[in-house]
Amino acid sequence: MLEEIGGIVDTIATRLPRIEQRMTTRTAPTLRLNTRRAVDMIVRDRRIRARRRMRAADLMVASVWASVALAISLWLAYGGLNQITDPASGITALGIVTGLVGTDLILVMLVLAARIPLIDRVVGQDKAMAFHRTLGKPALYLILAHGALLTLGYALSDGTNVIAETISLLQGTDLLLAYLGLALLIAVVVTSVVAVRRRFSYEAWHLIHLLSYLAVLVAVPHQLSTGGVLADGSGQRIYWIGLYLLAFGSIGVFRFLVPTLRSARHDIRVAGVEQVAPGVVSLYLTGRDLDRLQTAGGQYAIWRFWTGATWWHAHPISFSAVPTASTARLTVRDLGRGSAAIGRVRPGTRVSIEGPYGVFTDAHRVAPKLAVIAAGIGITPIRSLLEHSPLRPREATVILRGTDGDQSYLWNEIGALRSMRGNSVFTMLGARPPGLATWMSAEALSRGVTISSALPDLLQSDLYVCGPQSWADLVIRDARAAGLPEAQIHVERFDW
Amino acid sequence: MRARAVVLGLLSSTAVLAVGWQLGAQGQQTQTAVAGTDASAASPSTVSGEAAAASPTATPTPAATSTPAATPTPTPTAASAAPAAPAASGVSGTFTGTAARTRYGDVQVEITVQNGSITDVTALQLTDQDSRSVSISNRAAPVLRQEVLSAQSANVKNVSGATYTTDGYLTSLQSALDQAGL
Repeated sequence: MLEEIGGIVDTIATRLPRIEQRMTTRTAPTLRLNTRRAVDMIVRDRRIRARRRMRAADLMVASVWASVALAISLWLAYGGLNQITDPASGITALGIVTGLVGTDLILVMLVLAARIPLIDRVVGQDKAMAFHRTLGKPALYLILAHGALLTLGYALSDGTNVIAETISLLQGTDLLLAYLGLALLIAVVVTSVVAVRRRFSYEAWHLIHLLSYLAVLVAVPHQLSTGGVLADGSGQRIYWIGLYLLAFGSIGVFRFLVPTLRSARHDIRVAGVEQVAPGVVSLYLTGRDLDRLQTAGGQYAIWRFWTGATWWHAHPISFSAVPTASTARLTVRDLGRGSAAIGRVRPGTRVSIEGPYGVFTDAHRVAPKLAVIAAGIGITPIRSLLEHSPLRPREATVILRGTDGDQSYLWNEIGALRSMRGNSVFTMLGARPPGLATWMSAEALSRGVTISSALPDLLQSDLYVCGPQSWADLVIRDARAAGLPEAQIHVERFDW
Repeated sequence: MRARAVVLGLLSSTAVLAVGWQLGAQGQQTQTAVAGTDASAASPSTVSGEAAAASPTATPTPAATSTPAATPTPTPTAASAAPAAPAASGVSGTFTGTAARTRYGDVQVEITVQNGSITDVTALQLTDQDSRSVSISNRAAPVLRQEVLSAQSANVKNVSGATYTTDGYLTSLQSALDQAGL
């Protein structure tokens, strides 16, 4: 096995209890057959569940399409087409439609960000949020077009110029609020665009982002009072208000009500803080019935620590061990000022939980074997994932990647896991070669190691990758190049 | 799988759009019918200028919104005039026009006639759907009143920037003039 993978240095042998390799040849033929049948059953079951998830995901995507179409339909059913008689009314009509579609997209974004359990189970929060992000700019452009087109359309039909029209539009309270909403929306989108976002801390960005709720709400009065499409007593108005209730209702329930109740019920407190490496701490938590959270290995939750310095921002942190009835453990690296402050919380601190979330779990597997590549703090969900997975011997191959020994925290726990008995753990220490886009160490690369040589069963495996974003992207690039189907690639990203 | 989502999305969107379009087309047909009944239904309720303050538009289906052009219908049945209004040359009294619906709200005017000439025009209701409409109305109403008083007819020019208000104003005015027999 070691020869096969060539350059990977098996430092694990010196650090960890010796890896036990059970020989499958020793088992009786009948037993082997049964095992194979059992594996087939497991794989079949996984495939069925994956197909079900796929179907649900496709339905969700289709319903987003349909909601956009429905927004246009509100205007069509209102008889909007009949009102187009000249260029001015045409521009006005286009302005109305862009407003409806833009607002619909913003409400879809709110639903995507509401952390609805169904969405999390089917596609996962990070995919939902990636979709949320891609909708951000189009929605803003549509709303901007809405304002511009209507001003122009009104000006043309009133026979005034755009500036005079804008001034007259600003006279109304409802429209003034709508302009305020637009300004807030611009602020939210601009601060969220990646290039600008780097200049903000996560906490500042998060606070600005909360303004989007306000932006969407202050736009409501003018939608109901100015437009004819959503006129009083119309079906359109009822649907539209329903849409708002759905978006804000799901945010209210899943981001505020459920977490509040859950935090109160479980009464979670910090029991101890242990520094496991420079800048990396494990937080030991105690609480009531923590097993009832039904956390799956590999999941994370969004935590809020009630101390003077940290209460106002919540952080997504992975469980580094599956919670027991009374204890849970998180491991966090100080990636920002906020998470550095978390390392200084005192025992007894009250903790709020939102979650658990995440699809980086055993439940999302589709293939018979398991391949894992983790780097740095990416070890945390991997640790609980492996702990929670009912693995057969020789089912899993784990590669732990670090630049130096400082990054080998929790590594010793991986080999000691019960589920890892008879499964292989390899480590790859060392810096990446300068100027080369690779996820491997310079040394491994020079020995000709590839993802396929390191993971011989890759194509029959679910690949779980966790580590820094750009590094993980390189792993996935190699996996795709080796022919691994998309459904077998599982990534947990540590970004916001 | 992605392709299936796209196909599903396209199909459902097309269906939704088709239904919306159909509803819009249907609404247009019923709306013209409604507009016809609307005018005659509305007129009996306008007994006098005072009662008209409680916006008399008896809208059967509120969803059927207005195309401003649809409303005029001169309503010859308008028996709603003040107590006695014989169509003579020396007619006097107040006459309330039917409410004209515009996209920014109803417009209704009342005229005071003395010996066959218009002495005053009072706006009972003006476009007021939002504050922008209100400000436009406030600007347009005095201009329109002055023009009507000097022209002694509904033949006055459009107030710029207040097209809908003007249309509604003159439509309601015309119906009041018809009642007065002017």
